[in-house]
Amino acid sequence: MQRLINVSKNFALFILFLSTFLFAFSDRIVLPVWLQVAGRLHPLILHLPIGIIVLTGILVLLRSQFEAEQFKKLITYSLLITALTASITVLFGLLLSLNGDYTADSLQQHKISGLIIGWLSYFALVLYQSSFDLKILKHSIILGLFLLLIFVGHTGAVLTHGENFVFEPLQDSEPVPDKENSPLYELAVMPVLEKKCFACHNESKAKGKLIMASVDKFKRGGENGLAFISGNPDSSRMIQYIHLPLEHDDHMPPDGKAQLTQFEISLLEAWIKSGADFTKKLAEFSLTDTLVSLANRAIESKSPSVEAEYNFKSASASVLEKLNTPFRTVVPLHLKSPALKADFFVSEYFKVEALRELNQINEQLVGLNLSKMPVVDDDLKLLADFKNLETLNLNFTNLTGAGISNLAKCENLVSVSLVGTKVTSESLKPLLTLPNLNTLYLWNTRISDTEKNKLQQAYPKINFLNTQFKDESMVALSIPNLVNEGVVNTDDKIELKHTMPGVTIRYTTDGTKPDSVNAKIYEQPFSINETVKLKAIACKTGWYCSPIFESSIYLKGTKPEHVKLLTSPHQKYPGSGAISLTDGTKGVIEEFKSPDWLGYTDTDFEAVFDYGSKPPTLSKVVVSYGDHMSQYIFPPVEIQVWGGSQNNFKLLATQKIPVAKAYNLPLVNFVTVSWEKAVYNTYKVIVKPNSKLPEWHGGKGQKGWVFVDEVLFY
Amino acid sequence: MSKEITDHRFHVTRRHFLGKLSLGLGSAALGSLLIPDLFSKSEPATAALGLSHFAPKAKRIIYLFQNGAPSQLESFDYKPMLNKMAGQELPASIRMGQRLTGMTAGQAKFPMVGSYFKFNQYGNSGAWISELFPHISKVADDICFVKSMHTEAINHDPALTFMQTGAQQGNRPSMGSWLSYGLGSENKNLPAFCVLLSRGRGNGQGVYSKLWTNGFLDSVHQGVQLSSSEERVLYLKDPEGRDRADRRNMLDKLAELNDINYKEFGDPEVQARVQQYEMAYRMQTAVPEITDLSKEPDSIVKMYGADCLVPGTYAANCLLARKLSEAGVRFIQLYHQGWDQHGNLVGEMPLQAQDTDRATAALLMDLKQRGLLDETLIIWGSEFGRTNYCQGDLSEKNYGRDHHPRAYTMWMAGGGVKAGTTYGETDEFGYNILRDPVHVNDFHATVLHLMGLNHEQLTYKHLGRYYRLTDVAGHVVPGLIA
Repeated sequence: MQRLINVSKNFALFILFLSTFLFAFSDRIVLPVWLQVAGRLHPLILHLPIGIIVLTGILVLLRSQFEAEQFKKLITYSLLITALTASITVLFGLLLSLNGDYTADSLQQHKISGLIIGWLSYFALVLYQSSFDLKILKHSIILGLFLLLIFVGHTGAVLTHGENFVFEPLQDSEPVPDKENSPLYELAVMPVLEKKCFACHNESKAKGKLIMASVDKFKRGGENGLAFISGNPDSSRMIQYIHLPLEHDDHMPPDGKAQLTQFEISLLEAWIKSGADFTKKLAEFSLTDTLVSLANRAIESKSPSVEAEYNFKSASASVLEKLNTPFRTVVPLHLKSPALKADFFVSEYFKVEALRELNQINEQLVGLNLSKMPVVDDDLKLLADFKNLETLNLNFTNLTGAGISNLAKCENLVSVSLVGTKVTSESLKPLLTLPNLNTLYLWNTRISDTEKNKLQQAYPKINFLNTQFKDESMVALSIPNLVNEGVVNTDDKIELKHTMPGVTIRYTTDGTKPDSVNAKIYEQPFSINETVKLKAIACKTGWYCSPIFESSIYLKGTKPEHVKLLTSPHQKYPGSGAISLTDGTKGVIEEFKSPDWLGYTDTDFEAVFDYGSKPPTLSKVVVSYGDHMSQYIFPPVEIQVWGGSQNNFKLLATQKIPVAKAYNLPLVNFVTVSWEKAVYNTYKVIVKPNSKLPEWHGGKGQKGWVFVDEVLFY
Repeated sequence: MSKEITDHRFHVTRRHFLGKLSLGLGSAALGSLLIPDLFSKSEPATAALGLSHFAPKAKRIIYLFQNGAPSQLESFDYKPMLNKMAGQELPASIRMGQRLTGMTAGQAKFPMVGSYFKFNQYGNSGAWISELFPHISKVADDICFVKSMHTEAINHDPALTFMQTGAQQGNRPSMGSWLSYGLGSENKNLPAFCVLLSRGRGNGQGVYSKLWTNGFLDSVHQGVQLSSSEERVLYLKDPEGRDRADRRNMLDKLAELNDINYKEFGDPEVQARVQQYEMAYRMQTAVPEITDLSKEPDSIVKMYGADCLVPGTYAANCLLARKLSEAGVRFIQLYHQGWDQHGNLVGEMPLQAQDTDRATAALLMDLKQRGLLDETLIIWGSEFGRTNYCQGDLSEKNYGRDHHPRAYTMWMAGGGVKAGTTYGETDEFGYNILRDPVHVNDFHATVLHLMGLNHEQLTYKHLGRYYRLTDVAGHVVPGLIA
């Protein structure tokens, strides 16, 4: 038996040490879920030590009724059970406190006194077991235990049932806050801080050295500096911390503690914004200050902190499943929200029935998007019961306005979009008196600017939005385009087009700038008989003419039997070799790595074009090149054409091309080199790259590139 | 000897064993107090898919990617000091030996150069914007500028890939794919993630389909590129000589066959496939309705600029993005090439700005007038910024700038961002970040947050571990959120 007593005694001691440890380091400990269960047993087992301590007290009072030996045994057992149950109760209580959400003052007192009871009961046990004959000490310990028990019980009750639980029925009704004489801070702001912040930021527990419970110390800030900056909620540390994501270490209140509601956050922000005043009375604030309306709401509602985002219940999953079709989506606002929004898609498949079916969720629906659906005025009757509807999008529907009166019962409407409908100023009337309405989108309706301004003046609380865009300046048209691509034949038709209806296209093919008066008007596709530079513009009244469209149109040349490259292109830009030059496919600017382009930088381009045994009479060659100077791709500086046979060539013509003085727009361009008509079997073409880039270029002095995609003989 | 030691070790009494066991259990219990997750399965909390984790501020995103890295110093980050000190060597105390690209590493001098273009303040917010962007200036009060973006890569491809997928190497899902995975599509008749490409007149850099890849996510989350040709979505048209009735017939017969197969094997993939066919069938109606720009009124065409009717231009893509977004497409990714001004910045940058400025501002105004700006997040930005020193030759009239990942400017507008504000600041040389740096991971975390997603909970298990868009980093930046 003695052994069991010793084991139990040591066990109690161990628990007490563990509890003391928990108490000391409660800040650094996060509770695993399974231990939370133990914590929640605290309110159950705490009744054991209460009963036994009372019993022990009674035993001490009745000690004369027992024999001394018997009494010692009795009191030892009773104290042993006291120590055991008390220490376990303390431990469980501390576990509970780690995850509970209690006001710190009474919690701290409760914790300390509970811990003392644990230790005291243990010492009482040791004392009674010992042979010391200190009756007074022994009995006063029991008395102390009893008194402490009353205190602990009281603080515990305050924690669970709130202040003044016992005597509440005896008191007069709750004091009504004195709206006239109390500062707004005490009426509206402090209760929020009290509920959500004071627990960790009070005189006894000042996390981050910030004490909010005292006005002076609150103003002074914490270890990181000021908690708020009057007038500037955005730079106020406390507001910043509130807005941090929940999982962030600095988020306030910390994860696991009761969070601020959106309403409370707005209240705190408004209070700081209006100067964070601690003494000003409600009546002293200007009525237009948002703080006043928020504060009034906070004072009126008994507990603004518990207001939910929405307090209706969720729609059933089976209803939601039925309502979701490819053309109608109905989803909650987010994972935890009972509120729903519905969107309709693809006007072709819209049926009024689909709108009527939403009646099943008329309570939960807060957002409805019917944009571009063929909804008519009569259909709005179906919306009359959506009492929680907040945003309604009726853009580009077939409304004329008559049906809007059906929305008069949707008292929670905040924003209504009526863009692109035929609603009139008159038809908006039923909406304008809705209590929460703050935005009406009215662009592209029958409501004129003057009417809109009138409405705005009459209803300053509502935003009547039109468009920001002012059509005051003329805009240039986009450039016309060439339909044909690549190299054309003489009988091919050259076709120009423009994406905007009603434009006139004017063009030149001689390299001159087309103007909007004299240049030839494009009426129908035309043909060419040589390679030309096409320049075209588009014009239309009310618009500036387009910039000039510029393109080279290549006429198909006389194809040689065989082409051979005498110098190889740079290994990075080999194209498809010699075949690229006569295949009739044009290279595209920017795509210099395509098979159409041959790129040269270290050597000249040299190629031989062989016309075999029946050579034609030829007199010119067109060399098509890429011009993209910012990529170091320049027009050639010189082109030489030689005529003759295998090894015996004669220089027919040389053309030098002057170097540009500034960057050209990237373009595929060409040079024509002509000579006196003659017949040769073979032609050799040499194209020299710019080997020293000009002064004005970013890479001046460096080697340039030349890119050739087609060589055409005529 | 070793045998004795082994024997000794086996020689454990019951008392011994229980004593040790209790100690072990005790320490394990204590350990679990200090590390609460010790005994729980060490897997991240993965929230359910298809819905926001919490109330979202934005429902859709239009990301205007300015590919090639437009210079922040000629657009939104005004640094008059660079004009004052033009031509002087960049102080070593500012550069701090930062690595350079191969293009300027060999340069003997790093002369600073200020903006050739004038800056002015606009809007109530007094944002500094260069004269190159007269239209964006008009909507300055809708914009939240982030002057303190920074990234890790210094060359286009890795930086671009990092910006779009959260990793430099590729093969990870793109931002749009993550959103499609996390939130699903609003409109079941269109893809949740669309991609639109355009090319400006400046020096360009490539974009590749790896930027809109679904990576290891299901392929339904891949970005669908809408081409500028007449057939906007490839392979969507009925074959020549066949009409929609034929298609319907074919699909019904096919569905019957698939149903037989499903009844036999019970493979849910069979039904998923049938659903995909049905969606493609619906897309045949939905896509042409949305991609037809010809019915836009003249006022809209003027607003976006006449180019918006020319398929494949930035303006046309902006207009198309508005239409797609209006129709519930979750994520629309634009890429506009041509912003890589290593040289001839003075020549090319105005052209690039001309091609994009008007349409960008128009997109904001257009969404606003339809009541959609509040629920649409617009992002404008690039893979990195450009150096404050000149690349190549510096003249009075022209210069170039190299890549600069250390500090650059991006901006956001619309759904949930703090309109009319500027976040972060660079030093007076525009080289280093002075305060509030925003890393690419932070940016991703913030964008997901605006969409109602916790970036740490949007995960996918692949190759034995959980992946996120932000991988193992990233913090939401509260300063950007209204």
